Order: sequence, then C-alpha cells, then structure tokens
Amino acid sequence: MLVVLDPSSPEPLFAQIGAQVRAMVSRGELRPGERLPSARDLATSLDVNLHTVLRAYQDLRDDGLIELRRGRGAVVTAHPVDHAALHAAITSVVATARDLGVPPATTLALVKEALR
Amino acid sequence: MTARPPVPHRLSSTVLALLVPLAVLLVAGLAIASFADELPDRVATHWDSTGPNGTGTLAGFLAVALGVPAVVAVGCWLLAVLAGRSSGTRRISVGFAVGFAIAFAVMAVGALAVQRGIEDGLDAPGIDGVVVAGILAGVVLGVAVALLAPRDAPQPTAERVPADAPRLDLAPGARAAWTRTVSSRSTAVVVGVVCVVLVLLAVVLHTPLTLVVAVVLAAMLGTMFVFHVSVDERGLTVRSALGWPRLVIPLDEVEQARVVHVRPVPEFGGWGYRLGRGGRTGIVLRTGPGVEVERTGGRTYVVTVDDAERAVALLNTLADRHRVG
Repeated sequence: MLVVLDPSSPEPLFAQIGAQVRAMVSRGELRPGERLPSARDLATSLDVNLHTVLRAYQDLRDDGLIELRRGRGAVVTAHPVDHAALHAAITSVVATARDLGVPPATTLALVKEALR
Repeated sequence: MTARPPVPHRLSSTVLALLVPLAVLLVAGLAIASFADELPDRVATHWDSTGPNGTGTLAGFLAVALGVPAVVAVGCWLLAVLAGRSSGTRRISVGFAVGFAIAFAVMAVGALAVQRGIEDGLDAPGIDGVVVAGILAGVVLGVAVALLAPRDAPQPTAERVPADAPRLDLAPGARAAWTRTVSSRSTAVVVGVVCVVLVLLAVVLHTPLTLVVAVVLAAMLGTMFVFHVSVDERGLTVRSALGWPRLVIPLDEVEQARVVHVRPVPEFGGWGYRLGRGGRTGIVLRTGPGVEVERTGGRTYVVTVDDAERAVALLNTLADRHRVG
C-alpha cells in the first residue's frame, strides 16, 4: 500500500494515514484478511512517531475496518463495515446534549431506551 | 549508456572461490594418498541404506569426489570475477565453491578412511555419519566464507533519474512510503510436502540422513517464502520475514527503476534469492510483474512484487528528489 503524508497540511498525520487506509479498503485495494505493515515498519518508513501510526490503527479498529491481533499485527476485517458515520452521529448527539445541558446519565438512558 | 565499470574485489574472489577450495581438495587428496596403500584394490564407491553396493578404482573415485567440486569452484570463481558486481553474487559464488569443496573433501576422506585394512570394498561399513558431517561442515563453512567476502562500497550518484522513467505526482514536502508483502504459498506447500515425505522416509527406511536433509532444506527455504518490500526515504528495502536475507538499495544508488515481467525459471533458474542471466540479482518468488532497479556500479536487481507500477514510480520520484534536494 502507498501512504503519502503532507506535513504542511492542518490535518494531523494520524488522520492522514487513517483516511488513506480507509480509502484503500473502500476501493478494494486492501482486501479482507490482508495484513497491513506493522506499525513499527510503517512508522520507520514514513519517518513518523510509532504512536502516530498506532493511533491511526486504533481509530481504524474502532471504526471496524481492521482487527489488531497480538503477534499478527493489523488485518483488514472479514466484512469491513465503516463505522465512521455512526461515530459522527454519536459526536453530534454528545454535542447536542451538552448544548442543551442534559447530564450524561440522562443522555445514556435515552440512548439505551432508543436501542430497545 | 556508459560502459559498465570493472568487477570489484577480484583478488578476494579469486582467493576465496578458487584458491581456498583447491587447497581444501589438495589437502584431502594428500590425506587420502597417505593411507592409499591400506585400501582394498576396489574401494566402495556407492552406498544404499544397508551398506556399500558398488565398488570402483581409487582413481575413479577421486576423479569424481575431488574433480567435481574442483570444476564447481572454477565455475563459481568465473562467475565471481566476471559477473560479481554485487556483493550478493560474490558471496553466493565463494560460499558455494568453498561449501561444496569442504563437503566433498570430508565425505571423500571419511568414506575412504573407514575402508583401511579391509580386503573387499563391499565389506565397508555405512557412512551416514560421514555424509552428515560433510554436509554440515560444508554448509557452516560455506556460509562463514560467504560472510568474509567484502561488501559493496557505497557508490552514490548525482546523475538525475532519466526524465522518461515512470514518476509519481508527489508534492515537494510530502513524505511517502510504499509497502507490500510478497509470498510464495506454492513454494511453502511444496517444501512442506517434500519435508514430510523425507521425514517419513527417514522413519520407514531407518535413514537418519534424510532427516538432516529435511532440516537443512526447511531452514534454507524458511528464509525464502515471505518477503516484505518497501520503498521510502531509505530507498528500496527487501527483507525476508525472518529478517535475513535482506537487501537495501539506498536512494543515492538508484539510477532508475522500471516494471518488468519476470519468469523465474528461464531467467533465474528457479525461485528465491537467485543469480540470474546477465548478472542480475533477483528475489523472485513467482511469475509476473516485478521491480527492476538499475543500481550504480553496473548492478541490477529484480524483485517480484504486486503493484510494481507504483513502487517503481515512487522509487524514481524519491531518488530524483534526493539528487535535487
């Protein structure tokens, strides 16, 4: 896979890495079961901090695109579903709740209610 | 196109690939001569799992046992001094020449030493231990001598990468990395099957020797079926999953890269880390597209890998940017 970073861009480096991997998965360039380079190798290649790549990989895992397995590294999930839209919706729920001054416990209760 | 530079390190190649093997074979010959009068008229020359099953004259035995590795050494020496532009070529040549000579010398001396004082070669004992010792000594010392061969001196170039070489559109300050893993599942399967068969043969036929062959084969091939390939500011890096062998071509030694179609058997005589026709060094695991890099010093490397187009484009782009910047 090819990752290009623009250090002059306002977008943080971890987000740039994440966005490119996400695009490769959605284009089918990275197939389910395919292994990403180890975070250490990619960090060395791109000359960035190891934690920058780890942060990008963790975000991708949280979004359901890759699995991080001990010893096997980062692997594209069998049925990659991009949870990014869900995360965006949650962010907006949190923002609205704060704006309205609704306490977290009440917001959680409302979300649980809605999930039933 | 400038003339290719002369092959470096010819003296060390001559010593290691020619003089050392011939000296080893000479010593073996002298050792055998010292006890030749104690040997039967027709010495055992061939063994099966139960003992010797063929005899011949001592001269005939020596012509093969010491003549073959001598011819191999001459071939390896020619390869090293005529085509040994990269350290890999020289190392494989000298290691093979020395390993072969030592293995054959140990086996020849050992196989004849056990026949001292017997009347008929067919009464000779088995030589499994001798063969195992010969193979192990050959592999260990061959590798050791290969490591003695001098590495390549840095040969940076300031020449721009040719304008017609493929490029990637890369913003001036951008950092880029291309990575890919190339593996040969079919090789792994074949090696696995062969090793299982050898182990079964060893158990069924009570020939521990085949176990050694299986282990050596598995160890050699284990370094050969998964490679990580990357292109970044360090240049082109090809690294076995086990960490060795490893090939690094720094950006300042890349003259240009191109995409080639690789056919491992006709061009390289097989799969793995190989020397190919025209003095190319290859890490070739399958038929198909690959990256070919022209490196300074008249060296050429080939790596079979998917997505070779982008690897080549990025390597040319980074190499050229490195010259300007």
